[in-house]
Amino acid sequence: MIPEFEYAPYVWTSYGIFAIIVAWQVIQPLLKRRRLKAELREEQALEEGDYSHDAQT
Amino acid sequence: MIWHNIKVGFHRLGSPPVFHRLCRVVAPWLWAGAAICAAFGLYKALYLVPPDYQQSDSFRILYVHVPAAWQAMAGYLVMSVLAVIALVWRIRTTEIMAMMGAPIGAAFTLICLATGSIWGRPMWGTWWAWDARLTSMLVLLFVYLGIMGLYAAFEDKRKGARVACILILVGLVNIPIIHFSVEWWTTLHQGSTISFFGESSMDSSMMPPLIWMVIATKLMFGAALLDRSRNELIEQDRRKGWVRQKLGASA
Amino acid sequence: MTRAMLALLRRDLRLAVRHGGESLMPLVFLFAVLILVPLGVGPGPNLLSAIAPGMVWVAALLASLLALEHLFRPDLDDGTLEQWWTGETPVGLLVMTRLFSHWLITGLPVIVFAPVAAQMLYLPDRALSTLVVSLLIGTPLLSLIGGLASALTLGTNRGSVLLSILIFPLVVPVLIFATGAVSAAADGLSARAHLGLLSALLILAVTLIPLATTAALRLNIE
Repeated sequence: MIPEFEYAPYVWTSYGIFAIIVAWQVIQPLLKRRRLKAELREEQALEEGDYSHDAQT
Repeated sequence: MIWHNIKVGFHRLGSPPVFHRLCRVVAPWLWAGAAICAAFGLYKALYLVPPDYQQSDSFRILYVHVPAAWQAMAGYLVMSVLAVIALVWRIRTTEIMAMMGAPIGAAFTLICLATGSIWGRPMWGTWWAWDARLTSMLVLLFVYLGIMGLYAAFEDKRKGARVACILILVGLVNIPIIHFSVEWWTTLHQGSTISFFGESSMDSSMMPPLIWMVIATKLMFGAALLDRSRNELIEQDRRKGWVRQKLGASA
Repeated sequence: MTRAMLALLRRDLRLAVRHGGESLMPLVFLFAVLILVPLGVGPGPNLLSAIAPGMVWVAALLASLLALEHLFRPDLDDGTLEQWWTGETPVGLLVMTRLFSHWLITGLPVIVFAPVAAQMLYLPDRALSTLVVSLLIGTPLLSLIGGLASALTLGTNRGSVLLSILIFPLVVPVLIFATGAVSAAADGLSARAHLGLLSALLILAVTLIPLATTAALRLNIE
């Protein structure tokens, strides 16, 4: 029996879990940042919209 | 004079825009460093290191399991230092950093528990053993979750951060006690604890990948901490002028 | 100073007596657990006596959780808590007084009825005194830890789940040493080492936890 094949699934799953969780540490801030930016832009646009509206009346 | 400069630099870091800029500049470099170290470490761990004569290839799990475990604990120490600074000098950026350390520490604790459990399957024959280290890591996970939950439960984020900083310091005293008591408990309940790996008997060729991976996890923690802190800062300061200005410039 | 503490203690106890039924809840809870467990695992004396120390202790722990949500909350809501900082009595002492009354209400009844519980679970007679001593040292610890968690979660509005997550890591050592002591005594071994460590924990907790609790309360009323 070749030992490498016996343990390979365990080793690869472990490394996979490590990779997935670390990748999430990279991706989560990026996603959140994108969401925040969109929210902030929307808020700003709303406010500016109100401003121009007020100026016209 | 040097002391004065350090002090001024330190106080400037307390200013949100300065801190934000620092995070934006430094974090990518840390990620890059982490990627290089991890690539090096993983290559060595998976190809260069010969199989262990007792555990054959299953010991390769060590190269993700041990760095994650160390980082889970080192992360807690970093948070404790930040918590002391936050409580004593009331610097908001350190409050935020102390809080943002918790999800990252929890992530590394989770890696440690999952890989430990997977390693346990071929070695011990079960997915879970009430091994002292695994058990105290499980408790550590709950400490991290407690800190995250407490911070999240407050509407006033500054108040929540300071209260959670107290919890971090309570945990700092408590974690060694937990570790010691659990170790004692397992030796009482099982005839002999299964030793994970003999640190002293480790072959010298096994060490370098471990060191690379440890450096990589340290850099990952730092980078993720800065990334998350930057987002949290923007979220809290969303109505303030400097965020508006930044957004206007980048848009 | 002593007068303020005594007044607080008297008030807390009087309130507990007036809420008669509610103050009996920890005890009812203890016995509910002690009756449900044999129903769940079967009435075999060997199994029951083996798990007796753990069961009594887990029941005591859960019983102490019951009253925690109302430990500081009513005082926060009616403004009494803020008054603690205006008097000349150190707030740490008032916190200790409050925790003492919590212990009298939740800890003491469990200790008094522990011999009954021990009989119901076939705990060997020689371990009974150790069980009572471990509860005497350990239940104040539970009150201290619970008080800290309750002070930390005071400013939040979904305290109860959070409370148990915060308490769980803190009580791990208490549970290990206390049940270790009782199990050792049941096996005819000396329980001194366990009880000594449990006492050390109590001393540590009595010195440090009131400080942290006071700090947390203070932040929460700001």
